[in-house]
Amino acid sequence: MAQKLLEVYDLHASVDGKNILNGLNLSVAPGETHVIMGPNGAGKSTLGNVILGNPEYHVDSGSITFNGADITHEPTDARARRGIFLSFQSPEEVPGVTLEDFLRVSKSAVTGKPLKVFAFQKELKKTMEALNMDASYARRDLNVGFSGGEKKKAEILQMLMLQPKLAILDETDSGLDVDAVRIVSEGIRRYKNKDNALLIITHNAKILENLTVDYAHVLVDGRIVRTGGSELVDEIENEGFRHMEEGVAE
Amino acid sequence: MSSPVKKTQVQEVDRSLYDFKDAVHPSYEADAGLTPEIVEQISREKGDPDWMRDFRLKSLGIYNQMSVPDWGPPIDGLDMKNIVTYVRPDTPMRGKWSEVPKDIKNTFERLGIPEAERKSLAGVGAQYDSEVVYHNVRKEVAAQGVVYTDMESALKGEYADMVREHFMKLVPPTDHKFAALHGAVWSGGSFVYVPPKVSVEIPLQSYFRLNAPGAGQFEHTLIIVDKGAYLHFIEGCSAPKYNVANLHAGCVELYVAEGARLRYSTIENWSKNMYNLNTKRALVEKGGTMEWVSGSFGSHTSYLYPMTVLKGENSRMEFTGITFAGKGQQLDTGAKVVHAAPHTSSHITTKSISKDGGECTYRSAVTIQKNAVSSKSSVSCESLMLDSRSRSDTIPAMDIQNDDSDVGHEAKIGRISDDAVFYLMSRGISEEDARSMIVSGFAEPIAKELPVEYAVEMNNLIKLEMDGSIG
Amino acid sequence: MEQQLNHINTLPALTWNWLKVNRSAFLAQRPEKAAPAEMPPAFAEIETGMGKEAADFAAQYCTDYHTVDVPENAEEKDAETFQYVLSAEKPVVDVNLIHARKGSRVTVLESYTAGDNTACFHGGLTKILADEGAEVRLVQVQLLSDTSRHFNDVGIRLGDNAHVEVIQAELGGARAFSGCLALLQGYRSNFNANTVYFGDEKRKLDFNYIARHTGRKTTSEMHAAGALLGQSDKIYRGTIDFIHGASGSVGHEAEETLLFSPQARNRTVPLILCSEEDVDGQHAATIGRINAARLFYLKSRGLTEAQAKQLIIEAQFAPVISKVPDAALQEAVREYLGRRMQLD
Repeated sequence: MAQKLLEVYDLHASVDGKNILNGLNLSVAPGETHVIMGPNGAGKSTLGNVILGNPEYHVDSGSITFNGADITHEPTDARARRGIFLSFQSPEEVPGVTLEDFLRVSKSAVTGKPLKVFAFQKELKKTMEALNMDASYARRDLNVGFSGGEKKKAEILQMLMLQPKLAILDETDSGLDVDAVRIVSEGIRRYKNKDNALLIITHNAKILENLTVDYAHVLVDGRIVRTGGSELVDEIENEGFRHMEEGVAE
Repeated sequence: MSSPVKKTQVQEVDRSLYDFKDAVHPSYEADAGLTPEIVEQISREKGDPDWMRDFRLKSLGIYNQMSVPDWGPPIDGLDMKNIVTYVRPDTPMRGKWSEVPKDIKNTFERLGIPEAERKSLAGVGAQYDSEVVYHNVRKEVAAQGVVYTDMESALKGEYADMVREHFMKLVPPTDHKFAALHGAVWSGGSFVYVPPKVSVEIPLQSYFRLNAPGAGQFEHTLIIVDKGAYLHFIEGCSAPKYNVANLHAGCVELYVAEGARLRYSTIENWSKNMYNLNTKRALVEKGGTMEWVSGSFGSHTSYLYPMTVLKGENSRMEFTGITFAGKGQQLDTGAKVVHAAPHTSSHITTKSISKDGGECTYRSAVTIQKNAVSSKSSVSCESLMLDSRSRSDTIPAMDIQNDDSDVGHEAKIGRISDDAVFYLMSRGISEEDARSMIVSGFAEPIAKELPVEYAVEMNNLIKLEMDGSIG
Repeated sequence: MEQQLNHINTLPALTWNWLKVNRSAFLAQRPEKAAPAEMPPAFAEIETGMGKEAADFAAQYCTDYHTVDVPENAEEKDAETFQYVLSAEKPVVDVNLIHARKGSRVTVLESYTAGDNTACFHGGLTKILADEGAEVRLVQVQLLSDTSRHFNDVGIRLGDNAHVEVIQAELGGARAFSGCLALLQGYRSNFNANTVYFGDEKRKLDFNYIARHTGRKTTSEMHAAGALLGQSDKIYRGTIDFIHGASGSVGHEAEETLLFSPQARNRTVPLILCSEEDVDGQHAATIGRINAARLFYLKSRGLTEAQAKQLIIEAQFAPVISKVPDAALQEAVREYLGRRMQLD
C-alpha cells in the first residue's frame, strides 16, 4: 500500500491565543497535486507555517505525520531535512547572506552531504535561466531589495534546487504579473514528478493553469469543508466561497 | 633596525630595581609601581637619544598627576601596582608552542613563516628567524622607497628627525592617563614612511614585526604617508596575541599628507584577560583620505576610539567597525572625528553584537568646527543583542558649530529576527547555524572591507563566538 | 536671592568630559514669596528629567502649587489650564502634581508668557502619575523675554495601559532648560513626547529627555524639532533606556534641527541603553539647512526667501502648535515666530 507522504489529523492550532485551525484533516500521497482554496482569514497561511513548525504558531491538539514519522513537535530544520519545503508568501530578507551562499548551505544541510561546488554552480545557473532570473541575483543578499515577483521566483528557485519530497506553495502567484505567473507555473511543472507532491495554497486559480490538480480542498474557518477533484476549482472560480461558508455555520 | 642582542639585554635588567614593590598603594594616583629610575633604566637600555629620555620622564610626571576616566567600563581590575612587570621584558609571552591555539599556528603556516620563527611567538628563543621574514617583506617594499622599520631604530637612523618631529604630537602624553603611561614606557612598534606618489599595492602587515617579549603591550606605531601616496596597513592579526600581561596601552599616530590615502585595518583579538586601552589618531591634510576598518573581538575591557582630525580642505574619513562582546567582556569602542576645514566628510558605520553577558558600548563624537563649512557627516550604528544577559549601549554625540553642514545619524538596536531564523530553518539549516549565518550576515559590511584572509578569519571568529567555544 | 544648580540635565550614561554635554548648570532665583510644596510620597518617588537638584529646588521655593486629581473613569472635556504672565517682579516657581486615576482622561495646559521685556525667572516642576488605562496630555508653552531664565522639569510614572503625551514649545528666554523622564513601568504603557524649540539671539536651550522602559510591551516615541538662528546654543539629550525585563518594548526617538545661522551651535546626544534582548530601539537625527530643493520650490511659487523659511519652520512646528488647547495662545506663538523670523 502506498505510504502517505503527509497526514494531518484533527489539527487544532492557534496564534497569539486565537484559534485558527479547528480540526483540520488532510492526506497527501506521493505524486499528487493538492490545492487548498478558501476565503481570507480561513487559515491557509497558518497551515503551511504549522506544517513547518513556525514557533509563532501553537499546536493545541492533533498530529502531523510525514512519511510515517510524527513530526508534530519536531523543530523546523528537522522537518525541512525530511524533505518538506514551504514557499513563503512574503519571504524574509536576510542582509549579508547571498542567495547563492544560502542555497549552498541549505542544499548541503538537506541532502546531508557535502556539496560539489562546480556542479552546484552549474545547476544553479541553469535553473536561474529556466526561471528567467538574472544571474546577478545569485550574488545579491537574500531577498534584500527584491521586488515581489523576484522574491517569489527566488522561492521557486530554492524549491527546484532543494528538490523536496513535499512542496507547499503559499500564495505563490500573488503579486506576480502575467509573465511571471507563467514562468513560476512552468517551474512548478518542472519540479513535479510521480514521487514528490505539491500542496498549493491559493485563492486565485491562475497558477494552476498548467498543472494537473488531483484534489482540491476548501478551507473555511480553520477546517476543510469540501474536497473534490479539479472541477471544484472551477466551481469556486465561478461561484466563490460564500455558499460553502454558509454551510459551515452549525 | 634593532639587533637581537639589544633586545636580549633588555631582558637581563637588574632585578634590584624592583625594591619599589614595598611602596604599594591601592589607588591609581599614588602609583609607586613606576619610578623615574625605572624609566631612566628603560631609556638607557634602549639606547634612547636624550630627548626621548626626557620625554619619557616628563610623561611619567603627567601620568602621576592624571586620574582615570570617570566614564566607561571599570578598570579597577587592572593591576597598576605591578605595571613595571608589564614593562619589564622579563614577562615574556609565556607558554609553550603546544599551548598556543591552533588557529595561530595555522595563520603562521599560511604565511609560510618557518617553524623556527614560530618559536619566538612563545617568547622563547632567538629573534633571528623573524628577521628573515622581515627582510623578505622589506625588499619588495624598500624598492619603492618605503621605509618600514621598528620604532627603536627609526629613532636613531636617517629618519630620526622626522620621527622626533611627529612622535606623540598627535596623541600627546597629556591626552589621557594611558597616553602618558605610553609616553613613559613605550617599547616596540613600527615606523612607516611612504614617499610622495608611491602606491604600496600589497598591504603591510605589522605582525611581521614581532616585538621583544613583553614590549608588545606598549608598542608605538607611527605612519607617515606623503603627498599623493597610498598605503594599506594591517595591524596585528586575527590570531589572539598570547600574552600573560594584561595591559595594552599602545599608540598609533597616522599622518596622511595632501592627496594621500591610508587604510588602517585591525582585527583585534587579544586574549580575554587583557585591558586594551589603545589610542589611535589620524591627521588628514588637504584632499587626503583616511579609512579605518576595525574588528574588536578580544580583550576583557577595551577603550578604543580611533580619532580622525580632518585638517585639510576636502579631506575625508571613513570608519567601518564591528565589536563583538561575549562572556566577561566590556568593550567600549567607537570613533571620533573633528572636521576642522571646509568641504570635509566623514562616514561612520558600526555594528555591535552582545552575547552571554557581554557588554558593548558604542561611543562616538562628531565635531564640526565653525570654519568647517559645507561639511557632511553620517553615522550609522546597529546593535544586535543575542540574549537578555547582555548589554548594549549607544552613546553618540554631535557638536555642530556652523549652519552650512549636513549631519545625519541613525542607530538601531534589536535582536535576531525570529522570522529570519524560521526562514533559514525551513530550509534545513539548524537553529544554531541559522543564527550564526544571520550574525555573519550582520557583520558582512565590515568583512567586505577586509582582505579575504582576514574576512575569513573574522567570520571564523564570529562562528566560534556563536558556538560558544571561545573563552 | 540666587542659587546655582550644578547637576542639571545629567546624561544617563556619561561620555567624554571635553564634549561638555554630561550635565549643565543653571542659575536659579529664589522668589521672595515662596514656600515648600507638599509632596505626597507617591509623587516624591517620581524621578524627573532635570534631576533631583532642580526638582528639589522647585519643591522648596514654590510660588504656585496645583494638584489635579482626576477621578476614576472621569473624562475632563476642558483642559486644566495654568497660565502665567511673568515679569521681573513676578518670578514664578510652580509645582503641579497630576494624578490621573484608573481609566480617566485629562489635558493640562501650562503656559509661561512675558508680560514685558524684563528679565523674569521661571522654575517649573510637573509630576504625572498615570494609573491603569489613564490618558494624560500635558501641553507646555514657554514664550518668555530674551533676558529671562526658565527651567521646566517633568517626571512621569505610567501604570498598565496608561498613555501620556507631552507636548512642549520652548520658544523664548535667555536660558531655556527642560527635562522630562517617563518611567514606563506599566504593562503596555505608552509615552509620546513632542517638542519644538526655537533658538535665536543668544538663547541657550538645554534638554534632557529619558524614556525608561521597565514594563513589558511598553512603547515610547520622542520627537524634537527646532530651528536655530542668531547665536543660539542648544544641547539635546534624548535617551531610550530598555531595562532588563522590558521585553517586547519599542522605543523611537527622532530629532530634526534646522540651522539658520553660522554662529548657532548644535549639540545632540541621542542615547540608547539596553539590557533586554527582545526590544526594538531606533533613533535618528538630522541636522542641517533647509532642503535646497524645497526652498527652491517655494520660491518658484513666488515666496521670498524669508517667507519660504518662515513657512518651513511653521510647518515644522505645526504638529505641536496645533495641539495647544487655547486659540489665543496658538496665535501668540505664531505671531512670535513670525516676528522673530523677520528680524533675522
